[in-house]
Amino acid sequence: MIRSLTLLALLAALTGSAYAADKIPRLANGRPDFSGIWQTTSAAEFDLEPHAARIDAPPSAGVVAGNVLPYLPAALEQKKKNFANRDKDDPRLKGWTLGVPRGIYYPEPFQIFQRQRDLTLVHQFGHSVRTIHTNGTDHPGGDRNQFWLGDSRGRWDGDTLVVDVSGFNDETWLDRAGNYHSEALHVVERWKYLDANTIEYSARVEDPEVFARPWDLSVILHRHREKNFQLIEDYRYTLEYEQYYPPKPPATAPQAASTQPSGTP
Amino acid sequence: MKTLATALTLLLAVTPQVHAQQNKPQALAGTDRIHFEPSYAPVESGKWSGKRLADGQPDVEGHWSNTVANHNNWTDPQGGIPGDPAPPRKPLGTREERAPSRVTDPADGQVPFQPWAKAAQEDFLKNFHNPTKPQYIEPLARCAPAGVPKSFIWHGYEIRQFPGYVVFLFNSGTRIIHLDGKPHLPANIKLWNADSRGHWEGNTLVVDVTNNNSKALFGRTGEFASENVHITERYIFSNDGQRYNYVATFDDPTVYTRPWTATIPAKRRTAKDAVDGWHYEVASNRAGKQQVIERDERICTENNIGFGHVAVTAPPR
Repeated sequence: MIRSLTLLALLAALTGSAYAADKIPRLANGRPDFSGIWQTTSAAEFDLEPHAARIDAPPSAGVVAGNVLPYLPAALEQKKKNFANRDKDDPRLKGWTLGVPRGIYYPEPFQIFQRQRDLTLVHQFGHSVRTIHTNGTDHPGGDRNQFWLGDSRGRWDGDTLVVDVSGFNDETWLDRAGNYHSEALHVVERWKYLDANTIEYSARVEDPEVFARPWDLSVILHRHREKNFQLIEDYRYTLEYEQYYPPKPPATAPQAASTQPSGTP
Repeated sequence: MKTLATALTLLLAVTPQVHAQQNKPQALAGTDRIHFEPSYAPVESGKWSGKRLADGQPDVEGHWSNTVANHNNWTDPQGGIPGDPAPPRKPLGTREERAPSRVTDPADGQVPFQPWAKAAQEDFLKNFHNPTKPQYIEPLARCAPAGVPKSFIWHGYEIRQFPGYVVFLFNSGTRIIHLDGKPHLPANIKLWNADSRGHWEGNTLVVDVTNNNSKALFGRTGEFASENVHITERYIFSNDGQRYNYVATFDDPTVYTRPWTATIPAKRRTAKDAVDGWHYEVASNRAGKQQVIERDERICTENNIGFGHVAVTAPPR
């Protein structure tokens, strides 16, 4: 009896896990299909490293393997300056493109559209668009080497999408705590389904001008499943001047007070 | 990216090699360029007999460009910007020699503005060349999204299609056309790129456009809508897949005396076209065995200068 129960449990466990692996969405060519709208619930955006609660950040145990980012001494001084001035110097405050990997764990949704040859990532924040090529091509080189989002070339390691990202500028930060990088930034991302609605996203970050050695971060991305959920563009850099457009009807006009169509005069 | 500089560099790099490669089928860049045309043919709505994607949508993926002119002038597209202190050196010729108005209904080619709106448009145009107030600066010059409909007459753009979506990647802005029939966003949410719901009728993508903040204006001549505008777009694709006409009806009782229609012709990039990063926003990747045509990220406000150096970037908050 006990034996058969164990066997049954074992069978259930086996079929269960096989079921989970089969259940993830796939493209026609059998590769995992990451299409969907995703967002992290982690506090990575506020500070990649462990931190207690403070005025501008919820507490978090951090998302970095080994907890501490291995800054070179001079770079650590710069990071401390960034942290001290974070309420003024964070490029996010101007609505600028967040970069890679920050855009992935910024607390607004992004949408993945996927074809066999590429993935298109549209970020709600700034409506930044990033293409991850999965057609076997290499980084272009030449003068195409100064990108806010880097140049992304992906390959498949089983069901894991491995993306090599390079060709960055040095304008973006890694989080709100002033963690930063240079143009030498090189990111290797790994995208892997944990189940049909959950992605484990990890990134190895390498930058010999800022860090003594490569380091790893990892966050979980959750699929938005709310009914009719969609991205809503967030072009906050336009907020300074958007009130000047378009021309408004004169205050005396009958249409001015109404948002309803009022018929032709 | 530094669009023009990159385009010029690429041109210099690509041009000498193109002749040698002309007979090889893998060459993906020729020397053709868009020559803005003074007229264009209508495309009839009807059946789609061209290539389809796996999900059944007509395959219209690729790089597209309008074929008439940029956003200098909405109703006389090849007529330059009225009052331009540095007009084009080439004589414009008569009105009949230039492309017709983008306004194809009413027949006079003019936006049927209410009097206050006509006055506002003329006031913008009068002040465009020497803006003394913020509202006279063309919003695209500040790196604002070009919105609907100006995005179709500002640089080339890419169409990517996915099950349930048609996505437009513009030089300044992105539009996600939802094909799944979900309802529009709540009416109080107004967006630079509006909110789009579409479906295919044969060769025609029909898109219902609401939630437009209408801040982008239509062009340097200052035509505009209000945030109450309801736009019905028909993208009518020719069955050879090489052209489409954008035919859009603008209904906005706040601004116009009657609904009116705009038409913008577009042409798909082929391997005969040069890589110029402008008419078609493409870049060449020769790192592998074969040349690949790709699209680079689009960045504007971060570069700290709106194009034309008119705009002032807002100080960080």
